[in-house]
Amino acid sequence: MAGADIEDRKVVAEVKGLVKDFGGRTVLSGIDLKVREGETFVIMGGSGCGKSTLLRHMIGNLKPSSGRVYLLGTDITDFEGAELDDVRKKIGMSFQSSALFDSMTVGENVSLPLREHTKLEKSVINIMVTMKLELVGLRGFEDLMPSEISGGMKKRVGIARAIAMDPKIVFYDEPTAGLDPIMAAVIDKLILDLSRKLSITSIVVTHDMKSVLGIGDRIAMLYEGSVLEVGTAEEIKNSQNATVQQFINGSFDGPISFFQSKADYLEQLTK
Amino acid sequence: MQICMEDKDGIVVCRLRSDVDINSSPDVRNYFERLTRDKKEKILIDFKDVDYVDSSGLATFVEIFKNMRTYGGKLKLMNLSNKVRGLFEITKLDKLFEIAAQEADALSSF
Repeated sequence: MAGADIEDRKVVAEVKGLVKDFGGRTVLSGIDLKVREGETFVIMGGSGCGKSTLLRHMIGNLKPSSGRVYLLGTDITDFEGAELDDVRKKIGMSFQSSALFDSMTVGENVSLPLREHTKLEKSVINIMVTMKLELVGLRGFEDLMPSEISGGMKKRVGIARAIAMDPKIVFYDEPTAGLDPIMAAVIDKLILDLSRKLSITSIVVTHDMKSVLGIGDRIAMLYEGSVLEVGTAEEIKNSQNATVQQFINGSFDGPISFFQSKADYLEQLTK
Repeated sequence: MQICMEDKDGIVVCRLRSDVDINSSPDVRNYFERLTRDKKEKILIDFKDVDYVDSSGLATFVEIFKNMRTYGGKLKLMNLSNKVRGLFEITKLDKLFEIAAQEADALSSF
């Protein structure tokens, strides 16, 4: 999807001036982002940069210290309980850990949102489960338990469950974490296929650079609680920002420091 | 969900008047369950006024197809918009259902 084309599309998720303080420490400091219909929007950044915290705000799991969060044209910032549940029915969430219920079969995991939130007959739900598992390449695995399938398959079951209710937006939290490179590529392709085929907007939080550049229509680089840059994969690759370059190249040297300075260390020792 | 029905020489033509989604598909299911309980042998569903079918709708049509197959009935679909047809194609259901472009073709094909 071309960048110019995306700018013409309607905004389906937005955060405005989002600030989050945890115990006096600012984790997100004034985030502004707009995600447009049908795009695959990647939020990338290192561990602890605030990207998962941002995602949790976008799905209403956390309340900002200040700023607003909009989903599908609705300001959900102050939503709780039933109001929030209604919005959540329109979105899907694929968790880093897959978050399958170990006591349920693959089929029961996928059908859970349909059984919980709809009045559909079991026979119709069963057909839907078969269709969803076919989309993620796992038809025939309905009766297996999560303990009987691999990590990559669990991720795919989690994705099948995320799309069970035909959501407009699917959020993916570190979808390729812990997977071998081939399975990571399978998950990336699946995210792209679902976005294209089902016109789903995908919002992906990851630090996997191959994934970032492979699937992102647009990419936001998050660093120390702020958005450093937003652009297409090409724009990010050619960024003049030294922090962005250090991150995408995985360099040790650069503005992102991993250790406290010697002066800080000595100061602390002698304080 | 409003569905208009007419009999055309033994073919039951059912015209869906709105989208088939998670809210309306239970009504669609109940409606066609009555027809399949009566073992209607030829059913043609008109999608002319349908802009969107979600996966609960697609699953409902699969169930109608399965029910009709138990007594040798024939189900056909017609007037699918490109968007709706695309939804059938993504889920490979275009290979399950006979889909006609126009009513005359559909009626003569039974």
